[in-house]
Amino acid sequence: MNQKIGLLFFGIFFGFALSRVGAGEYDLIYGMFTGTNLKLAWVMITAIAIGHIGMRWLSATGNITKGGTSLKVSLKALKKTSLLGGAIFGIGWGLSGACPGTVLAQLGEGKVLGLFTAVGMIFGTFIYALLVEKYPDLSD
Amino acid sequence: MLSGLYQAIFVTPWAWWAGGLAIGLLVPSLYYYQNVALGVSTGYGNLLKLLWRGKKPLKWLEKDSFKDPWGWRVFFIAGMIIGAFLSARLSGRPLLTGEMGVLTSSTSWPAFFYGLILFTGGTLLGLGARIAGGCTSGHSIHGLATLQLSSLVVTIGFIVMGALSTYLVRFLLLGGVTP
Repeated sequence: MNQKIGLLFFGIFFGFALSRVGAGEYDLIYGMFTGTNLKLAWVMITAIAIGHIGMRWLSATGNITKGGTSLKVSLKALKKTSLLGGAIFGIGWGLSGACPGTVLAQLGEGKVLGLFTAVGMIFGTFIYALLVEKYPDLSD
Repeated sequence: MLSGLYQAIFVTPWAWWAGGLAIGLLVPSLYYYQNVALGVSTGYGNLLKLLWRGKKPLKWLEKDSFKDPWGWRVFFIAGMIIGAFLSARLSGRPLLTGEMGVLTSSTSWPAFFYGLILFTGGTLLGLGARIAGGCTSGHSIHGLATLQLSSLVVTIGFIVMGALSTYLVRFLLLGGVTP
């Protein structure tokens, strides 16, 4: 239960940061993909760099978590279908002006149309659950 | 002085570097404090399991990550909505709004049509994230910060097709509008 409460607060921080920097704005996603406003691209590049430095620092101090257990980076295998999945996701990103995280920021901001995107994501996950039974190669 | 600080944190939109710093710090912090990897899209599997009313369980939802459908990912997702809600309330935004940027400001279609576009987009996001094994946070932020090849490949797919589909929306549906 402690972990759940902790992650609730990390979620609050994440949602707050996404909303404050404007990641819930359709126009900023649109601007990033049309090249007219690259603010969110810079947010992502900065986040990757800061995240990398932080992970280096953890590794230099022995990769020990606060609870004393050893830290294991979650490794995502490269699959034949990685690029396909990325491409399908990209089309969805452009169509909806949101991704699975930023649509939650839209919902918190009271953008009611974001509900369609969020329900679509659950539906898309359902389609995946059906597909993966037939095509185990798609397994995540 | 204090009101200036309040304005900068809660009212004025953050600069790119402030947002990047906050989001980037989540990657090592989540590992250090909770021993979990930053990621959102798998949580939609939890939501699906919670909502599923079919007679037969979906096989994919029977795997270990969804053993407890009320797992930490549901709390993380709920927190994100609460955090954005606080952000909107403190900066004085309306409680509810039908706006969706240039999509709604440059057109006057029936709500059903906006819903159809966004639902289609959402469906592709949900499906694509699972096939790719992650979304913007799990792959593009967490995966690239930890130098993973699969995340680079997936992110290239995100960017290329994101740019292409936005181009089509811009010129086929919105008459080439720039915000």
